[in-house]
Amino acid sequence: MTWLSRGLGLGAGSNFPGRVILRLYPRAPEDMASLLTRGCVLVTGTNGKTTTSNLLAGMLRQGGLQPVHNRVGANLMSGITAALAQASDKGGKPQGDIGLFEVDEATLPAVVSRLKPRLVIITNLFRDQLDRYGELETLAAKIDGALNQLDQEAAVLLNADDPLIASLGEGAGAHIYYYGIESEEVGEPGLRHAADSKHCRICGTPLVFTANYFGHMGKYRCPNCGASRPSTDFSAQGIELEGTRGSGISLSTPDWQGEMFLGLPGLYNVHNLLAALGGAQLLGLSKGDIKRGVEEYSTAFGRGERIPLQGRTIFLVLSKNPTGFNEVIRTVESEGTGLVVVTALNDRIADGRDVSWIWDVDFEDLAPLPRFLVATGTRCEDMALRLKYAGLDTKTISVEGNLARAVQAAVDHSQEGETIYALTTYTATLDLRRLLTRMGAAPGYWEEG
Amino acid sequence: MSVPELRICHLYPELMNIYGDRGNIIALVKRCLWRGFEANVSHVSLGDDMDAGEFDFFFIGGGQDREQILVCEDLRREKGEELRQAIEDGAALLSICGGYQLLGNCFITYTGEELQGISLFDARTVGGETRFIGNIAIQCGLEGAEGPTVGFENHSGRTRLEPGCQALGKVLKGYGNNGEDGGEGCVYRHAVGTYMHGSLLPKNPRLADWFILHSLRRRHELERLPELDDSLESAAQKAALNMTLQEKRWWRRRR
Repeated sequence: MTWLSRGLGLGAGSNFPGRVILRLYPRAPEDMASLLTRGCVLVTGTNGKTTTSNLLAGMLRQGGLQPVHNRVGANLMSGITAALAQASDKGGKPQGDIGLFEVDEATLPAVVSRLKPRLVIITNLFRDQLDRYGELETLAAKIDGALNQLDQEAAVLLNADDPLIASLGEGAGAHIYYYGIESEEVGEPGLRHAADSKHCRICGTPLVFTANYFGHMGKYRCPNCGASRPSTDFSAQGIELEGTRGSGISLSTPDWQGEMFLGLPGLYNVHNLLAALGGAQLLGLSKGDIKRGVEEYSTAFGRGERIPLQGRTIFLVLSKNPTGFNEVIRTVESEGTGLVVVTALNDRIADGRDVSWIWDVDFEDLAPLPRFLVATGTRCEDMALRLKYAGLDTKTISVEGNLARAVQAAVDHSQEGETIYALTTYTATLDLRRLLTRMGAAPGYWEEG
Repeated sequence: MSVPELRICHLYPELMNIYGDRGNIIALVKRCLWRGFEANVSHVSLGDDMDAGEFDFFFIGGGQDREQILVCEDLRREKGEELRQAIEDGAALLSICGGYQLLGNCFITYTGEELQGISLFDARTVGGETRFIGNIAIQCGLEGAEGPTVGFENHSGRTRLEPGCQALGKVLKGYGNNGEDGGEGCVYRHAVGTYMHGSLLPKNPRLADWFILHSLRRRHELERLPELDDSLESAAQKAALNMTLQEKRWWRRRR
């Protein structure tokens, strides 16, 4: 199977080899996964799957385990199958002891029933690609169905700050744990336009928020039926946000308390750290392994990388849905004004064909920042128009569908030593990473694993 | 003469705002301000009193099933009747997707639940098994806003207009009201319902200006609107139109 997967020559980033294996040997995932002595862990949710599972993989390695991990966002059944096959020897036995898979939200039920995970981590649910997934409530009901299938010995780790996620697992027999941010002073004054789950899932009444972190993340309760945010097992008690550099966080778990510095920007990455840390604790890792894992962590593909190019630094950050984009803008805001910015908006299937979500992003906050902005990607005109209506001077905006020419324009408009901020949707991140590799700037992401 | 002022009533903004619907409000406001007009947006939601006479333009976006039921009940109290009266008095309205469905005679969901509409549009909607999802282009037939118009649709409801009821335009590519009769949307006086969501008005500036002109004419004498530089708008419309017309439709329909 390994030779088959490698022979197909597409690397870990593709679903194609997995599809071929599933066709030839439909029980391949169950059979290969059953050979993993430490079982399987699944990570799902709209945002943060990749960062959370990469952080957790780092911690597991520090703890002496060998995770089998789908690293590059290949999160459908076929991608998981390909990852298992690639990490297997000639007899089909995995060369690792624990499966760690990020799973597409809509694929979770199928993966749970086939891999029988010992731990499921759910990060958040945002309105992302409704053209693919249907409504949030429908998706939540599907996830509930998946959690109900779990064994009694299994664990579920949920984000307490997301009202929809915190309401999951009602009928599940597995033990449920929660993580969340307790540091209320990092919140925003009110809910943003892009906030999704603002109503009680039980009775439909608008929730009352006493703290808003971002999107619909916060501390909340229902004034009607009394449902409220569950208390947290793993939490951030204090947070020092230091812009694009990262954050200092004081952490609390049932076993220990301590400080860590996370070299990833923004509050959303604090959530990712909490999810990974909670998962690591539930798998029995020590504080030391967890801390070293965080320190050694190399950035997940496209989630805030700094890549040198022609004397400049490209700050590449995946921006794929309203809440994610708003948080990226909040991070970029801390860098001051007069910036050089590249936005790349694609509408391929993996991005979502519908680009109207850009009107839910608060680009009004980005508008004062650039001195030069180039809009690229398959829907570059749509993005340029959004920015015009957000108040960006049209003289500042350049529209260039060709990615290579767009990057060159950004280089030409910037100075030696300057940072270029590249805000890109999913497939545009892949395209840009590939382009930068070709230009000799970044190593291929397939070399990382 | 006083500076023209567009008074916008955004109905149920926190419930019916799926798919970037607020882009339509942003477009109307900006296109007024750029012309030196004034624009004000008021939010009116569940249980709020609405004095329809205070507004020239009404907007309802799309929503998920649960929100749609809440809004349907609220509209059937006083707001629906007030809204119909305002349209008779010459006010303009744009309703998208879920909002559009609630302004017809009735909406029967896929699970068989019947939601009574306010009968502003002589149309009925029945939920279907598959969803109509994709880029859509139509030839808009609205007087003063004729021409190709682009958007994105994502709906399982099939809307059928009763005889004598006017569609917004003819489908060039996509599904439209029901995927069968080639019509998209519905027009009654200056009220429009459509499945074209998200950034409908920004990319279709002629249609945006049609709403502005007719809304303002309620209280101001205006022959036409001052011209704006629409080169970015036209480029975005043209790109979306070409892409939509050339697209090969091979992906599966989903419920």
